[in-house]
Amino acid sequence: MALTNQRVDVPVIVDESKCLEKCHACIEVCPLDVLVKNPETGKAYMKYDECWFCLPCEKECPTNAITVQIPFLLR
Amino acid sequence: MYDDISDELKPWVEMLQSSVLEDRLVAVKTLQHMGDEEAIAPLIQALEDEDTNIQKIAITAIWELTNPIAVKPLMACLRAPDGEVREEALSALKELIAPADLLMLLDAIQEDNFYMQLNVLILLRKIHDAQALPYVLPFFESEKEELREAAITTLRYLNQVETCPPALNLMDDPEVTVRRSTTLTLGYLRDEETVELLCEALTDDPDWQVRRNAAQSLVLHQDDSSIPWLGKALSDEHWQVRKFTARTLQEIADDSVIPALIKCLTDEYSDIRRDAAIALGNIGNPTVLNALQQTLDDPDADVRIFSQKASDKIREQQGVAS
Repeated sequence: MALTNQRVDVPVIVDESKCLEKCHACIEVCPLDVLVKNPETGKAYMKYDECWFCLPCEKECPTNAITVQIPFLLR
Repeated sequence: MYDDISDELKPWVEMLQSSVLEDRLVAVKTLQHMGDEEAIAPLIQALEDEDTNIQKIAITAIWELTNPIAVKPLMACLRAPDGEVREEALSALKELIAPADLLMLLDAIQEDNFYMQLNVLILLRKIHDAQALPYVLPFFESEKEELREAAITTLRYLNQVETCPPALNLMDDPEVTVRRSTTLTLGYLRDEETVELLCEALTDDPDWQVRRNAAQSLVLHQDDSSIPWLGKALSDEHWQVRKFTARTLQEIADDSVIPALIKCLTDEYSDIRRDAAIALGNIGNPTVLNALQQTLDDPDADVRIFSQKASDKIREQQGVAS
């Protein structure tokens, strides 16, 4: 899978101000394992630019920190 | 506090007692994902957390465990000030509630709390027990329209209730939502005045949904005295009323409504043209064959198909008769 270079262009956007360092809910539910924790900040981010737009990460986040930007043609 | 809990769960259960909100959020979410039955007691305790997000996640986690011991603590959430917590608890209880919980529900409905009363009225629909009737009846006179509507809807779900005179008074309720629900409930009641009230609602009520629901309920009664009213309702200004009336006339109809049904064969809505053709076929009067013949080139395929079937049915009956 392709690594992400520009974190603002990926479909899964994590609001770092809301993301909890000890929480791994989104990472556990992602079927593609594309979300990881940034070891420096402890916040989740999308490491690999692959997404099924299945949305459990967004739904399971206890602080609503995740937004999945669904492509127009899939809406 | 929870000594008998496995080592795997222990750190999360301890974190759930933390004074830091973020830690408690992480703990409750993790316990939800683990889905371990052993965590039910700490999750039940989390229902009393001061944070509504934690309460909501705890409710979802308990719901997923589907353990009946959680029913009572979840019932307490039905009176929560937060709307989302109440809604989540209600959804969970809809799946967890069992007939054995009836007495607990009947106790709870007597509590002087609007949300509790409303939610218990909804939950009683899952149990269908006529024992609940004396507890539902007082809500017909409630000042709050939501409670009146919930009570009359619940009545529809109670088994073995065939007559209920106080329910008939709600046909004159000033709130349309109550009247809409009452007309549907009256379909299941067998009081003497029921059909007459439904017929009046079908033609006179200012709300089209009440009139449509009345047509729907009249099909359950199958009472010939409603046929003239149904004939009149075929020229209602709202297409849904005309459609459901035509559907009812597929079950009960006589020759007196044939002119009104023929007029419906040229209605602007294809559903009505189709339902009218079916109703005419069911009446079986050969005088309508010409009118049905003219709908065989209808722009809507459904109308053409059902019109042909209706014509065939009438011809078949004629053949058998002669």
